[in-house]
Amino acid sequence: MTFTLSFLFRPRLVLGAALLAAGDGLTGCVSVAAYQKVYLNDEDMKLAGKRIEVYETNFESYREGAGGANGGKVGGGCGCN
Amino acid sequence: MRHSYFAVFRLAAGVALLLPALTQAQSTPAPNRVDGYGAPSSGAAGSATFGSHGETEVNILSSYYQQDGDHSAVEGGRGTQQLTDLTPTIILNVPLDSATRISANVGVDYYASASTDRIDQVLSSPSAHDTRYHLDLGLTRQLADKRTIVGLGAGVSNEYDYRSFNLVASWSRASADGNRELSVAGQAFFDQATIIRPLELRTNGRREDGTDTRQSYNLNIVYAQVLSQRLQLAFSTELVAQRGLLSTPFHRVYFRETGSVYGTAKAELLPRLRYKYPVGLRLTYYATDLVQVRAYYRFYNDNFGIRAHTLELETPVKVTPFFVLYPFYRYHTQTAATYFAPYLQHSVTDEYYTSDYDLADFSAHKLGLGLRYSPVYGIGRFKTPFGRRVAKFKALDLRYAHYRQSTGLTASLFSADLSFTMP
Repeated sequence: MTFTLSFLFRPRLVLGAALLAAGDGLTGCVSVAAYQKVYLNDEDMKLAGKRIEVYETNFESYREGAGGANGGKVGGGCGCN
Repeated sequence: MRHSYFAVFRLAAGVALLLPALTQAQSTPAPNRVDGYGAPSSGAAGSATFGSHGETEVNILSSYYQQDGDHSAVEGGRGTQQLTDLTPTIILNVPLDSATRISANVGVDYYASASTDRIDQVLSSPSAHDTRYHLDLGLTRQLADKRTIVGLGAGVSNEYDYRSFNLVASWSRASADGNRELSVAGQAFFDQATIIRPLELRTNGRREDGTDTRQSYNLNIVYAQVLSQRLQLAFSTELVAQRGLLSTPFHRVYFRETGSVYGTAKAELLPRLRYKYPVGLRLTYYATDLVQVRAYYRFYNDNFGIRAHTLELETPVKVTPFFVLYPFYRYHTQTAATYFAPYLQHSVTDEYYTSDYDLADFSAHKLGLGLRYSPVYGIGRFKTPFGRRVAKFKALDLRYAHYRQSTGLTASLFSADLSFTMP
């Protein structure tokens, strides 16, 4: 039996999930002062892939026809896709 | 100022002498981008402030990658895909003053591929191997408003049949309250590939048959927004236009009309123009002091007919304030390119054809675990061999991932990142 998660990728479902996840902040999109950013400044809260992840995003760019928008290779510089 | 330039020179000379094979190097500004890609961050939306440390940062990264499968493109969609790749990389990030930083990145990919060897001999067993070198240089400067960062960079890479040169320019600006940030980066690659055809398809009797070019133009836009004290997200897109040689001439394609008789294959042929439209959404949530949630979703579309969805989830667990375990999972699904067909499924009347399973219809799962150890005073201190400066071994990051495609391809990757700082 092949396990697939493709049911997750219905646009309405994804949009709904994103809005639900963002609900905490969308209640006002409040301005957070610098002194209130103790959680946001945590190392694991960075809005980017970790430096060490780049090898994985690169091999995924090679092995998959799709890539980009995540800090990895997306075209050029190699004989990849 | 003169002193700081001299210090930079001494540091660069020290690294070059320590690692003669790697010579001098430069990197790209953003921490997640190691090889020729990069947009700077001004520090909004939860990241560290630009130049806040004023220290020289050195990162030594390495990875060991191993894969296996039985759909080699070199043999027309069948045969071993066994490959190993070792990739040591060094990244330097040096402050010239409080507003300007130079970065350097140098690395080597040493790979051994069983399928590449079969360009010349269809059923041989020894693996071919090759080395790819890359060098990227970058300069970023924070403007007087303290909210804007601009950057410039350039890079080169070289392997036996592929050479590349790239230029990058970037701009990033944060809002006054630091809760929003817009980053834009443009990058152009100018590549040259040596044409190598399979043994039986050569007309000049030589392995190399001239060269061809490829140009790639990337536009990367990221908008980051703080939503609350615990939640933030970023939208990103990376529009790509590629022109030139997009097929790999040593990939064979066998056709159903002509069968698999030796000599009946053709070299892969793909259009010479490709547009890619990926759009990503990244979200980080500080659930508790023990657990955070990092999520990423990407929708991808291109004019080759590939449509893909990618979902990533990572949950860092702070075992102690300085020791973090982070399990992660990734799911990817994509449709096949219009020009893809498996072994012996293409027709000789097809305009374009490939049996490269990277362009096939498949889903993939990746599962792994990482650990990061970063005590506040560092793991250790030592004197550098040149300049007698005291360097700090700041943090250690280790990561293992296992990857499995529905095509049967499996891969494992072990990565390490050692962070050092020098005053």
